[in-house]
Amino acid sequence: MLNPISAELLKFRRHRATWGLVWIWPIGVTLILSLAIAIQVAKGEVGHAATAASWIDDAADFWNIPLDALGRYLAGAFVAIVFAGEYGWNTWKLIVPHRARHSLIAAKYVVALGLLICGFTLGAAMFNLLNWLKDLATGTPIPTGITAGALLKAHGLAGLAALASILLTAAYTSLAAILTRSTIAALVISLVITTLERLFRFFAPMFEPHAPGLVAGLYRLLPGYHLANLSEWLTEGRVLVVSFPSGPFSMAPGTSLAIVAAWTLVLVALTFRVFRRQDIN
Amino acid sequence: MNISVNKGGDNAAPVLALTDLSKTYGRRGGSVNAVRGVSIAVGAGEVYGFLGPNGAGKSTTIRMLIGLIAPSAGRVSLFGRDLAAEPSLLRRVGSLVDGGAFYPFLSGRRNLEVLAKTHGGGAERIDALLDQVGLARDARRKVKAYSTGMRQRLGVAAALLNDPEIVILDEPVNGLDVAGIQEMRELIRSLAADRGKTVFLSSHLLSEVQQVCDRVAIINKGQVVRESTVAGLLDQEATSLRVEAAPVEAAAAALSPHWPVVRDGTALTVTAGRAEAPAVARRLIEAEIALFSLTPVQANLEEVFLALTREEPADA
Repeated sequence: MLNPISAELLKFRRHRATWGLVWIWPIGVTLILSLAIAIQVAKGEVGHAATAASWIDDAADFWNIPLDALGRYLAGAFVAIVFAGEYGWNTWKLIVPHRARHSLIAAKYVVALGLLICGFTLGAAMFNLLNWLKDLATGTPIPTGITAGALLKAHGLAGLAALASILLTAAYTSLAAILTRSTIAALVISLVITTLERLFRFFAPMFEPHAPGLVAGLYRLLPGYHLANLSEWLTEGRVLVVSFPSGPFSMAPGTSLAIVAAWTLVLVALTFRVFRRQDIN
Repeated sequence: MNISVNKGGDNAAPVLALTDLSKTYGRRGGSVNAVRGVSIAVGAGEVYGFLGPNGAGKSTTIRMLIGLIAPSAGRVSLFGRDLAAEPSLLRRVGSLVDGGAFYPFLSGRRNLEVLAKTHGGGAERIDALLDQVGLARDARRKVKAYSTGMRQRLGVAAALLNDPEIVILDEPVNGLDVAGIQEMRELIRSLAADRGKTVFLSSHLLSEVQQVCDRVAIINKGQVVRESTVAGLLDQEATSLRVEAAPVEAAAAALSPHWPVVRDGTALTVTAGRAEAPAVARRLIEAEIALFSLTPVQANLEEVFLALTREEPADA
């Protein structure tokens, strides 16, 4: 199993677009925050004094990016290239005869998720570091009571919520890539699913009076609410309550975890199954 | 010409066998039978040619052979074992399909490194192979800058990377110049003759097949229409007999009621197959004509190929 992983790493380390979609996070954060600090220093602005808890919360804010549309679009683009690139370059013919198909797909998941997690973790670390530097540079007092343990806990919990989102995005994008055999098609499908999922989460309460049974059923079944609920539970320690015309809606975090996990596992299992039976023409 | 002898004769256990292999695309109504009941057996050390016009089913057969597409029916056996049950047998096979598709953003060398890592070995052979296929100087250039011929040669290096026992080459001389074709021909021959490898190659260049292969199968419309040694195929498909007899006029008179006869100097060309040679001889002897020689005239492979794959006019 290590050999196909090593092969995946070797090929994608040399592919600029793919590599760029990993390192965009730490590099982007560094550039944007450095610019923001420079502007604040130039203007002589001093930030507000914060409590230790809010400072730690702010420092872990970076993990909202993989939960947001932009983060998921870019993660989807990365996964689309990793999985569908082989069809575009016509290179499955080169490697499929030499390895069991499931190990090739497993290697892609390991490398795609590993690199995305690396990119986001480095981005979060840079975000934390630059927040601290910003306070130093602008003379904003850094609250006492910030400990490495508290910071790690905040990042860990926010990172777990982000991981659920990354896994789900990777799952439906990879299936789209294998089914369509096209990077562009996989990317478009990934964008559409991400967008619809988010739109439905926000607009479902408006549609509920028109089709109450259907909307409630979809809200329970589709992963949009559950991702947000998991994030709320992990980072804020409470369930997400959504106001519907018929009344407040909430579900237990355990149920949300089970539904997100089920979606992810089913989509990943389908990816393996489709690829195992697929003709490489 | 030093063509190796047929080592895939009746006594040799086939290292590669296709049994009633079929592939159907689509569903009932709109289905296409790309390959229909193909059965062939290739012996160890043999160079086996797979000939057919475009769309005959060559590439589909080769893709089934290397596990890229699943057969609709039939069986692929490698080294006497069922490929469907043991896909890992393909680790003992090297293949070049579609002119060698590679990662365009990687150098030739890096492509081979990726491949070596994928199948877990062969990295130590990369330099020697690049040298062997004449790409040592261009090994660090990106593949997207390679010519078709260079990609083809890299494809051959890739096919040999895991030191396979069976080498499957789909149109290996495509895109090569004359010198490259000559080199490829020598390489293929040396793979079998010097290194004991079994080579299964498809080509539309009949002269290449004739010069390199021990045996050939001709496939048309998804079916093998003839399988034979190259010499046997040419003999079987001989369509005329050259007759040296005296007096030649009397010989022509004796034969012409039965077969079309053309005088060719002091000899006759009789339009008759090899199977009819005894009957021709009998006619001449019965007419008390001195028969000096009776030789089937060999068609070239191209004529045989065209005869076997020609479209029959549809019935009115």
